[in-house]
Amino acid sequence: MNESLVIVVRAIISFFTLLIFARLLGKEQISQLSYFDYVIGITIGSIASEATVDISSRPWESFMGLLSWTVLAFIMQVVTLKWRYAAKVIEGEPVIIIMNGKIMDNVLKKMKLRVSDVLELLRNQGIFDYNEVDYAILESNGSLSVLKKSEYLPLTPKDMNIKVKQTGISTELIYDGVIIEENLKQMNKNEKWLMNQLKKYGIKDPSEALLVTLNDAGSLYVDKYDDKIKKVKDIGDYKGPF
Amino acid sequence: MRKFLVVAIPTVTLILFILIMHSGKILKKPLGNNDNIPQSLDNIIDNVNNESWEAAEDNLVKLNKAWKKVLFRVQFSSGKDEIYKLDTSIARLEGAVEAEDKAAALIEIYEVYNHWEELGK
Repeated sequence: MNESLVIVVRAIISFFTLLIFARLLGKEQISQLSYFDYVIGITIGSIASEATVDISSRPWESFMGLLSWTVLAFIMQVVTLKWRYAAKVIEGEPVIIIMNGKIMDNVLKKMKLRVSDVLELLRNQGIFDYNEVDYAILESNGSLSVLKKSEYLPLTPKDMNIKVKQTGISTELIYDGVIIEENLKQMNKNEKWLMNQLKKYGIKDPSEALLVTLNDAGSLYVDKYDDKIKKVKDIGDYKGPF
Repeated sequence: MRKFLVVAIPTVTLILFILIMHSGKILKKPLGNNDNIPQSLDNIIDNVNNESWEAAEDNLVKLNKAWKKVLFRVQFSSGKDEIYKLDTSIARLEGAVEAEDKAAALIEIYEVYNHWEELGK
């Protein structure tokens, strides 16, 4: 038996099986995962790694384990999607941990959270003065959503009765030195217009631009390959190898 | 077309993997010359029953060669444990034949048979 060859073949099988099963289960971001999804992910990953290196058992047995866990996770997803009550039991639900600026200590006990944990989560949200918080909700994925008191909310043009133009989203016109024709057409512009605009930024050829975008308000963002920045600011606090 | 490929490629891939994992059942059958393990075992049983030890030793050499050929084919669908058990029982059979011990040789042959039948099941 050529163990190395067997491990390579098993690794290929486990890798692509895991990839297919993971895509089947969806959930593209870690932040979308509930605690239970996270545990399922770890278990499925561990079965896949065992299928690769533990060649004492047949690969089919591990594959069946992998398949069973994926099917169960899939069923659980469907159940939680269709049945809200089950979703509340399995995945938990958001809980208010600060209400009207007051920390709900009985809720914290129930959630097995310390006040210091809440303060840390608030700091992660950029809140260092706890007087600013009106409501804080602990989401089922463990993140904290915060509503600040009205007096601490940022001033918006609407508050000032100022009319502003909609900026919309930016569309890429040049990416990596290549003009994206479809986007130009979509924005009702042509290459001649683009080249005239780029001349204002000192660009004679599209290949000189790394990225050019245009938003709905007509504002261009241009980044050239040659940034002409002689000294790059180093934000590291420590002299490393690079 | 693109949607079809998105479904077809993973499906075909999974079917291929399942076939590899179940290939042992087919690949352990004789596919060419000198890779018929049940035939070699039957010959050894006859030799041992007739106490033709030299012929038994010749057939054991054939059995070892056949096993090496089959092992390469079934290694991807089998566990190391079952392969190791078959390897060990063949080695013990060699010892029993060399010692010209009929009882021990028959015990080992049937053990090899049993491991062989379990392989890739």
